[in-house]
Amino acid sequence: MSKTRDQRLATAFVSLADTLVADFDVVDFLGTLTERAVELLEVDAAGVILTDQRGGWRPAAASSEHSGLVEVFAAQTRQGPCLDCVHSGRVIASPDLSADTGRWPEFAGLAVDAGFRSASAVPMRLRDDIIGALTLLRAQPGDIDEASVELGQALADVATIGILQQRAVSREEIVSEQLQATLHRRTVIEQAKGVLAEHGNLNMHEAYTLLRRYARGSGRRMSDVAHDLANQALDPDELFGRHGNSRSGQPPSSKEASG
Amino acid sequence: MVARRRQRLQSLLAADRDASSGSAVGLVCARCVSEVSVSGAGATVLSRLVHNEDGDAHPSRGLVHATNETSAALEDLQLTVGEGPCLDTFESGGPVLVADLASAESRWPAFTPAAVALGAAAVFSFPLQIGVVRLGSLDLYRDAPGPLTRTQLADALILTDLATEQIVQELDGHAIADLSWLADPHAEVHQAAGMIQVQLGSTTDVALMRLRGYAYTHDLPITEVARRVVRRTLRFQPESETS
Repeated sequence: MSKTRDQRLATAFVSLADTLVADFDVVDFLGTLTERAVELLEVDAAGVILTDQRGGWRPAAASSEHSGLVEVFAAQTRQGPCLDCVHSGRVIASPDLSADTGRWPEFAGLAVDAGFRSASAVPMRLRDDIIGALTLLRAQPGDIDEASVELGQALADVATIGILQQRAVSREEIVSEQLQATLHRRTVIEQAKGVLAEHGNLNMHEAYTLLRRYARGSGRRMSDVAHDLANQALDPDELFGRHGNSRSGQPPSSKEASG
Repeated sequence: MVARRRQRLQSLLAADRDASSGSAVGLVCARCVSEVSVSGAGATVLSRLVHNEDGDAHPSRGLVHATNETSAALEDLQLTVGEGPCLDTFESGGPVLVADLASAESRWPAFTPAAVALGAAAVFSFPLQIGVVRLGSLDLYRDAPGPLTRTQLADALILTDLATEQIVQELDGHAIADLSWLADPHAEVHQAAGMIQVQLGSTTDVALMRLRGYAYTHDLPITEVARRVVRRTLRFQPESETS
């Protein structure tokens, strides 16, 4: 709490660098990145969307997996600051979403209903391309300040490097391969969340948190644990036996019914 | 624009199916050749066939579709030497795109020289999968080196989605027009499949089939059925009364 922003920034980048090791897991990394974005930028939720390379955009990570927030992030792949950002390549901000129902009829209403009042989106750039965007949502109206935009851009750049799993991409094909692999891993995580949610009567956020906590506790990649769970190579009881379910990380306005 | 590209390929394939008795996956391969400008396309379907409502799954041998002899030989080659782009797609979960195969000899010491000898100069493999459910791979080759353009890559990815849907359709017999369940990694469909597999004590592929079957017989969008499962207003029973 008493830490300065610089200290928090340093801590955040160290925790992100920690995940950039040999057993790197891109889905875990993007999840961590969105959580750090929430802390550092003093926003209430953050998410990453990526190009599906078919002309559409897909949510790839969010600071919480609560269904209300997931719906907001899903909606903004169709309309909203995030989509405008990836199309224009510029930072797009809305200081008051309730005044932006003309601009984004579907998205603004949904976001306000979910408890958010302002939003901004920062592009994830790779040379001349936009491969995705980092979106920031706040429960209060107001402009996002210049320093936060710069910091958001730095985080978006880190996310891009993380997805490519290397700083210098020698072949353009690698970008396509890694983007698709990331979306595939995300799908497997969703299947595993379903297994855990049903097995332990958890909501999807709790299932995600348990999955990640177990993976970290056992020194395995979250994607690998998810794969084993969905493939029945790992008994879900293993996860419940070692760790209780977690209820941390509630967003300010979660309206989710867990059962 | 996006929807148009997908729709266009979907309607081309629908017309192909009306005009031909060939397998749907084979028709997707043929469309890869015409739409993605490759020399040949092949697909190996590795799927397990679902035969009954108890969810018994019978493993089947790989079924190969190919637009020409080189493509067929490339499919065989990978299985024979046990390495190659199609096998690598399952490791990464993403496509394997090699614009200049001759430079990839260190990656696949056995596959590369043999594939080059068969006439392949560039290879592009796409996994046919739904999360952990591996259905096969779609493998394209060119007789001259060079990358896919963005548009060609987009079309190849869409055709991969269509091939995946076709394989599932051939397994369960339910034609489902909305492909969004396949292409959206965050979709509740995948969460629901995980939940249903626990309810049934089955594998993920069986759970997906039951989900699709329910959508089909109740004339509901698959995303709506998934939503009900995730909200816990719909449960599936091991003894089928739904499909």
